[in-house]
Amino acid sequence: MSRTITIDPITRIEGHLRIDVEVENYAVSNAWASCTMWRGIETILRGRDPRDAWMFTQRFCGVCTTVHAMASVRAVEDALKLPIPANAQYIRNLILIAHALHDHIVHFYQLSALDWVDILQIPKADPAAASKLAESLSPWTRNSRNELKAAQDKVKAVAASGQLGIFQNGYWGHPAMRLSPEVNLLAFAHYIQALEYQRKALQVVGMLGSKTPHIQNLLVGGVANAIDLDSQSALTMDKLEQIRLLLAEVSEFINQVYLIDVCAVAAMYPEWFKIGSGVTNYLAVPDLPLDSNAGAYDLPGGVIMRGDIAGMQAFKTASDPVFRESVTEDVTHAYYQGEKPLRPWEGETEPQFTGWDGEKKYSWVKSPRYKGQPMQVGPLAQVLVGYAQGHPLTKKYANLALGQVSAIAKVNATPALMHSTLGRHAARAIRAAMLAELADKHWQLLVDNIAKGDLTVHNQPVFPFGEVEGVGTHEAPRGTLSHWIVIKGGKIANYQAVVPSTWNASPRDESGAHGPYEASLLHTPLARPDEPLEVLRTVHSFDPCMACACHTFDPSGRQIARVKVL
Amino acid sequence: MKKKVTIGGIGSVLLGDDGVGPFVAGMLESGYRFDENVTVADLGTPGLDLVAHLSGIDALILIDSVKNDAPAGTVTLYRKADILRHGPAPVRMDPHSPALSESLLVAELAGEGPQEILLIGITGEQFEVGTGLSAAAEQAATQAVDQVLTELDRLGISYSKLRKNPYSAWWKPMAEAPPVSDRIAIATPVQPRT
Repeated sequence: MSRTITIDPITRIEGHLRIDVEVENYAVSNAWASCTMWRGIETILRGRDPRDAWMFTQRFCGVCTTVHAMASVRAVEDALKLPIPANAQYIRNLILIAHALHDHIVHFYQLSALDWVDILQIPKADPAAASKLAESLSPWTRNSRNELKAAQDKVKAVAASGQLGIFQNGYWGHPAMRLSPEVNLLAFAHYIQALEYQRKALQVVGMLGSKTPHIQNLLVGGVANAIDLDSQSALTMDKLEQIRLLLAEVSEFINQVYLIDVCAVAAMYPEWFKIGSGVTNYLAVPDLPLDSNAGAYDLPGGVIMRGDIAGMQAFKTASDPVFRESVTEDVTHAYYQGEKPLRPWEGETEPQFTGWDGEKKYSWVKSPRYKGQPMQVGPLAQVLVGYAQGHPLTKKYANLALGQVSAIAKVNATPALMHSTLGRHAARAIRAAMLAELADKHWQLLVDNIAKGDLTVHNQPVFPFGEVEGVGTHEAPRGTLSHWIVIKGGKIANYQAVVPSTWNASPRDESGAHGPYEASLLHTPLARPDEPLEVLRTVHSFDPCMACACHTFDPSGRQIARVKVL
Repeated sequence: MKKKVTIGGIGSVLLGDDGVGPFVAGMLESGYRFDENVTVADLGTPGLDLVAHLSGIDALILIDSVKNDAPAGTVTLYRKADILRHGPAPVRMDPHSPALSESLLVAELAGEGPQEILLIGITGEQFEVGTGLSAAAEQAATQAVDQVLTELDRLGISYSKLRKNPYSAWWKPMAEAPPVSDRIAIATPVQPRT
């Protein structure tokens, strides 16, 4: 007999992710991912000045602000074929890296670690034993007995108060939780420390972008940062040195804590390397351009179909002609009018709400497809595409992580294991370590370029009378982001954003093929169907971010989530 | 030591009255001069990112649109206990779900949360896609500015008023058109539509 479980966090944020799974014999037999609200925010942009678009697009989402700003200016620059100065590339790259490091740290520790870590086991831990274990894994200096004891005391205090506060809603004591009390304690101590390091990363975004969460320094054609090594109001050597130090601290945390923790947790849940694979078509775009014309990149892009690593096809540029021609959006199962899949430049967004019907239309998310196929995007796609190309930096950290997992779990962890729930977590940590190393490189590129006497930061855009199209891409923390713009007579005629969570959370398409979230949930075992922790583990591994909408504070405290079992 | 204060407008300026928080932050930023220890920001629609903005400060003043039974444009004040009364969301799916209450709980867990919290809530009228506030919300914004100043007085924070024209939000349409030229050669022709 099958039954359906609906996970629907009715938060104050309207327009969130809802998951429905059908469960048979303690395993998922069918799945639907849907988004519960339509925004159509892109329509605000029509008729506006393309030079201002980024200020609006960075308000699409309150978590992924900078990424939408960056994709937008790149879309306009692509339409105008406008190169941007090398300094502007490096400054933008440093902002993108710092933002991604912040985002990856928050994702693992604050948003998904507690799917694996059982807080209520922590009071039983022996801090001295935990410290000894930690020292065997990492040179991190903040794993002392005292530091761990202090973290344990925080949990004890919360537990003793009788009010679990921040922890009141976890699936504690769930049979799928399996870490020792000491590992639980260690992970929690790092959960607290992570808050400090994610903030340092965000400080870098603020110093270069002048504000967070909404940066102020972008311009179509470059950046607005004045470079003057001697003036206090400009980007000075002093500020650059502070930025370098902050990035170095974050880098140390990534290498000595985040990457190690992910490997340790993964090694203790090895069966999760076999769960959660789903769609094994992967898409990533090249990013972190190395020069003014974006002729070379530090992050590789490309496409892998049906898990065929050897058949990987690389993209040469961030707006590769093949990519431009291959992306369409299907609305067969989304609440929109329309018959056949359309390219984003021709995209229409006419709502046609018909209520949730798993057989027909059931989501406000469209189904983006690449040559008609669903694609998984995100750090896993990027790491696999890089690995397939023999990209040295990707191989360096991927091999390091797999080696670490192999050593702890005493198994032979191979790249084939990466098509999984844990593979997504591992890839995110691998990508963070890559970015931490690249932060240092791009800081040096900027400083060296300034030292040569080049202080240029901006090229003036001028618009043609006729119509032009452009696509701006960015390999964001959650994967490939693309903004598609049509400009007519200097004004925006059409604008579509195809965001990473749209690729991953997409509903079925005209052929009936599942989207990546849906496919990844099939066959997932559930120990207790009314506490679907395993479903959350896989969904969270994608780092879902349904473009957000209203954040209206609701003081009435009405029910804000439900897990409904039928 | 001077108290560190963050004044943050919460909400999306793309969704009607949800933008009233950032609007109030804009009014304060353009109309007043504050000391270095005061940060004024449009915090947008954050998730747990909010922790970074409310850690290591003494006082937090937030301005947000609220849904309550009051008529549109009503200004209601909430303190820490009102915000924390309901705890975090039972199921957390994406990074937006944990917003204000969860961010505060996390900051407190780390021992870095602000002592003083005031949330100035403005009852909204419409939250449709589009920039621009309802007349009720725009009127309430002026009251909210006064509430922020009253709270700063209470905290002993000094500020001065600038002589300025009325505040005009950045998201209003620009007066100046972009430079357009028929002499621009675009290297790649417009892609044929299939």
